[in-house]
Amino acid sequence: MTDEPAPESSAHTRRTVLKSTAAAAAGTVVASHHTSVASAETAHTGGARTRVTLSVNGERHRIAIEPRVTLLDALRDRLGLTGTKKGCDRGECGACTVLADGERIKSCLTLAVMRQGAEITTVEGLTRGDDLHPVQEAFIRHDAFQCGACTPGQIMSAVACIDEGHAGSEAEIREWMSGNLCRCAAYQNIVAAVADAAEEGRR
Amino acid sequence: MREIEQSWVGGSRPRFDTAGRVRGMIAHVGDQAVGAAAHVAVHRATQPHARIEAVHVDEALAMPGVYGVVTGADLYKQLGDRLLTGPAFADQPALAHEKVRYVGEPVAAVLAADLATARAATDAIWVDYEDLPPVYDLADALAGTAYVHDELRPSSVFGDLKHLRGVRDTNVNYTYNLRTGDAEAARDAGAHTVTGEFWAPPTHHVPIELPCTIAWVDSGRLEMLTTTQTPSYVRQTIADLLDLPLSRVRVTTRPLGGSFGAKMYDRLEPLAAALAWTAGRRVRVTATREEAFLLTTRHGAAVSSSLTADAEGNLVSSVADVRYDTGAYADVGPRITAKSGMVAPGPYRIANARVLSRCVYTNKPSAGPFRGFGVPQVTWSHESLIDELAHELGEDPYAFRRRHLLREGDEAPMGTRMHSADFVGCLDAVANAIGWFDPLDRGTGRIRRGRGVAVGVKAVLTPTIANAVLQLNQDNSATLLISTVDMGQGSDTIMAQIAADVLRMDSRRIHVVRADTDATPYDTITAGSRSTYHTGNAVRRVAEAMRDKLIGLAAERFGVPAEEVSLTPDGPRAGSHEVTVAELVHGHFGARGATLTTEANYTSSWTPYDKETGRSDKVTEHWFAGAVGARIAVDTATGRVRIEHLAVAGDVGRAINPTLVEQQLSGAAIMGIGHALFDQLVLDQGQLINGTLLDYQLPSIRDLPDQLTPIVVESPHDDGPFGAKGVGETGILGVAPAIANAVRDAVGVRLTRLPLTPESITMALEENQ
Repeated sequence: MTDEPAPESSAHTRRTVLKSTAAAAAGTVVASHHTSVASAETAHTGGARTRVTLSVNGERHRIAIEPRVTLLDALRDRLGLTGTKKGCDRGECGACTVLADGERIKSCLTLAVMRQGAEITTVEGLTRGDDLHPVQEAFIRHDAFQCGACTPGQIMSAVACIDEGHAGSEAEIREWMSGNLCRCAAYQNIVAAVADAAEEGRR
Repeated sequence: MREIEQSWVGGSRPRFDTAGRVRGMIAHVGDQAVGAAAHVAVHRATQPHARIEAVHVDEALAMPGVYGVVTGADLYKQLGDRLLTGPAFADQPALAHEKVRYVGEPVAAVLAADLATARAATDAIWVDYEDLPPVYDLADALAGTAYVHDELRPSSVFGDLKHLRGVRDTNVNYTYNLRTGDAEAARDAGAHTVTGEFWAPPTHHVPIELPCTIAWVDSGRLEMLTTTQTPSYVRQTIADLLDLPLSRVRVTTRPLGGSFGAKMYDRLEPLAAALAWTAGRRVRVTATREEAFLLTTRHGAAVSSSLTADAEGNLVSSVADVRYDTGAYADVGPRITAKSGMVAPGPYRIANARVLSRCVYTNKPSAGPFRGFGVPQVTWSHESLIDELAHELGEDPYAFRRRHLLREGDEAPMGTRMHSADFVGCLDAVANAIGWFDPLDRGTGRIRRGRGVAVGVKAVLTPTIANAVLQLNQDNSATLLISTVDMGQGSDTIMAQIAADVLRMDSRRIHVVRADTDATPYDTITAGSRSTYHTGNAVRRVAEAMRDKLIGLAAERFGVPAEEVSLTPDGPRAGSHEVTVAELVHGHFGARGATLTTEANYTSSWTPYDKETGRSDKVTEHWFAGAVGARIAVDTATGRVRIEHLAVAGDVGRAINPTLVEQQLSGAAIMGIGHALFDQLVLDQGQLINGTLLDYQLPSIRDLPDQLTPIVVESPHDDGPFGAKGVGETGILGVAPAIANAVRDAVGVRLTRLPLTPESITMALEENQ
C-alpha cells in the first residue's frame, strides 16, 4: 500500500504554489515511479484535494487528489501506470479502457473518487509473473497491432468481450470491439486474435 | 528453415518488442516522467484572418500556478525573423506575430505548474483583433484580392525556390507545370474525351498517440524529447530558430504511437524550444485531441481534368489543373504540388500531357504531409477518368487500363522511365482476387452490386540522405544507430533483418537505437515510404563493411587470403579453420565487451525537372506501384456502401518481412476506406466544426470489409537492399477511386467529390432517374 501526505488545501498565492511545486518535484524523486508523467496532467493548484483509495492490479494505493481527477489521470500521473493510454480524454477512442470489477470502462470518463472500492485492472495487471494473458499471447501470434498505442485498450476490451460471451463469431467480435479505434487499422488481425483467444478459452 | 534464417530478409519474424506492446510497456513521449517542468497550453485565434492589436494577459498572469505568459511579439523581440520556420517556406511563427491566419492558430502560450492550470489560464487571455478579409477556400484564394501572406518567404532549405522570394500579391506559393507534347491540341483533335471536376477534402491523420514535446536547457544546449518522424530536420530547425550550432541542439524520440505524416517538420517543437530557451526552464507541450486536429491536415485538392482517346482507343491526351489547398502555412505543400502534380496523368502511356499544379494559401489550418503526399488526390482524378473513358468506349475498365499501363522501361509522361513498378502485376492480382472475371450477382432490388479497380503510382522523395553506424559487440550482438523512427511500420525490425542477413547473425541480437541526434547519424526523414530503400541501403552497406572487417580479421587469424574466408551463422570459416565471432573479436582486442564500428551512407540522386516543361529523365530514385480492387453493394434506399471484398496489391520490390508488409497494405487500405466514404474536415467560415472523434468519422473495426486481401507483388529493384522498396503509402493510393468505380458499376452514377457519403449517393441516384 502506498500513501502520501494530504496537502494543505486550497487558496495558494503564486509564491506558495511555486514552493509547493518544488516540494512536489522533490517528492517525485523520492517516490520515483509513482509520480511520473506527473505533475503533468493533474492539477496541483487551486482546488481542495481529497484522499482516495484505489485498488489497482491487486495493490491498494491511497492518494490525495482533486475530486475532478479522472481515473485515467490518477492511474497515469499518480500511480505511474502509463500502459493505459490517453488518446482523446473524451471517451471516443477507447485507448484508456480498463476493467473495474471485471467490466470494461473508459477510464477517462469516470472520476477516480467514484471508483473507490472497485478492483481496477489495467494492462499492467494482466500478466501473472512473466506469463502473458492468453489475449496478450493471441495479439502477438496474430500481429494484432502496429504502433501499439491503442493496444492496451484493445486488449482490455478483448478480455472483457470474451468474458461477456461476445466473441462467439467474427460478426459479434466486430460489433463488441467497435469502441476501440486503431488508426493503424490492424482490425483484421485484432478480430483474428480475439477469436483465437476466445476459442482457446473454450477448450 | 532454421530459426535464424526466419530472422533474416524474407522472414516474417515477429516485430521488435511485441511483449512490450501487449503489456503497455512501450513508453511513448507523453508517458515519460518530466519532473519539475512548466506545463504549456496555448490560447488560440478566434478569427480566420486578422491583425493582432493587443493581447491581454494580465488576468492569466495573476492566476495561481501561472509562471508566465508569452506572446508572438515577445518571441519576435528575442528571435526576430528566425521565429518564422517551415520546410519549404519560412512562413510559420511558433506563436502568431502581428497577424493570425486561421481559427485555432496559437497566439499566446501559458507556462504553469500543471496542465489544468495552464489550460484554465488560456481562457483568461483575450485579444483585440482588426479583422481582415478572409480567404476561406481555393476560389477565394485564386480569384480574390485578399492575401494570406503579404509576401512569399522561401526557406533556405531548397535552392530552387529562391526566385519566389519577396513575390507579393498572390496566394499561390508554388506552381509546377508539366508540358509533354501538345495536350490541348491532342484533346481537341481526339475522338473521345471525358472530363471531370474532382474534389478530395482536407482530412486529418488522427494517430492515437497525441503529440508531445519536452524541451529543456542543459549546459547551454537545447535538448528535447519529442514525437517526431523527422529528428534530423527538427535539429536543423531549432538550431536556426535559436541561432545555435547544430552541436548545441539535441533531439531525441521514442517509438511513436502512429503518425502518418502528422508528426513531422514544425509541429510543437519550435514553440517548445523557444519557450525553454527564452524562459530557461524545462517545458512540456502537448495537445488535446481537439487541438491536434488543428496542428496539420491533409491538403484538400481540386482537380479539373480530362482524358482523351483517339478513334483506336489509344490514350492521346491528359490535361489536369490541380489546386492544393495548403491552408495558412505552406509546410511541405510546394513539394507535394510538384511531386504529386507530375503523376496527375496516372501510370499510363499517354503521348501528350499537360499539368498545371498549384499550391494555394487559404485561411485554414495548415496542410502538410499525409500518407500518400498528395498523390491520392490526383489518383482520385485519373482513376475516375480512365474508368469513365473505358465505359464510354464500351471497354472493360480492367482490360482498358491493362492495355495502357506503363511497363518496365516505359517513359512516364514526365520523362522518367519505369523500373521495378509492376502495375500490370498488381492490377491482375487484385482483379483475380475480387473475381473480376467471374459472373457477379448484381442484385435486382434495393441492393445492387458492382466491382471497380484502380491503379496508383507515386515517386519516392528524391534526393535524400541516409546514414548508419553499426557497432558489433564482442559477444556477437550488435547495436545499430540510425535516425529512422519506428511508428508502427516496423522499421526497427526490418533494419535489423537487413543487417543480420548480411552478417549471418540472429536479427533479434541487434538493437536499433532510437533516434537521438547526439548519437544517431543524419537521416532526411522517416516518411514518404523512403526508409526501407534509403536507410535500408545504408544499413546493408554498414553491415557489409562490418562483414568485410570480420573477414579481414579472420583471414589474419587463419593466415589465409580474405577471399577464402566466408561468414556463417557459426562464425568465419576457411577450409578447416573456424572461429566464432566472439572469439575473433575477443582475440583481436584482448578484452570482453569490446566493439567494432563501421559507418555507411546512402544518398539518392535525381535530375531536377525542367522549369518550363516539368520533365526530368530521373525525377525519382524509384517508383511505388499499387492497385486496388473492390466488390461492393450499394443500398439504393439509404446510399450506404458495403464493401464485400477489398483487395490491395503493392509492388514492394522484395518483402523484407512479408507479415509487416501485409499489415502496411491492409492498414493503408482501411485508412483509404475512410477517405473514400466518410473522412473529412468540415470548416464553416474558417472554423473547424468536426474536430472531435465523435464528429470526425474514422474507420472502426465495423468498417472492415467483409473480406480484405493484401497482396505482395515483388519485382525487385536493381539498387534496393535485397531488391526492396518501401510500402507505407502504396496501399492507400487507389482505394477511393476503386470504390467509386465500383459504385459506378453498381448503380451507374459517377461521383466526383469525396467522401462518397450516403447523402451524395442517394442524391446522385435521384438526379439520375
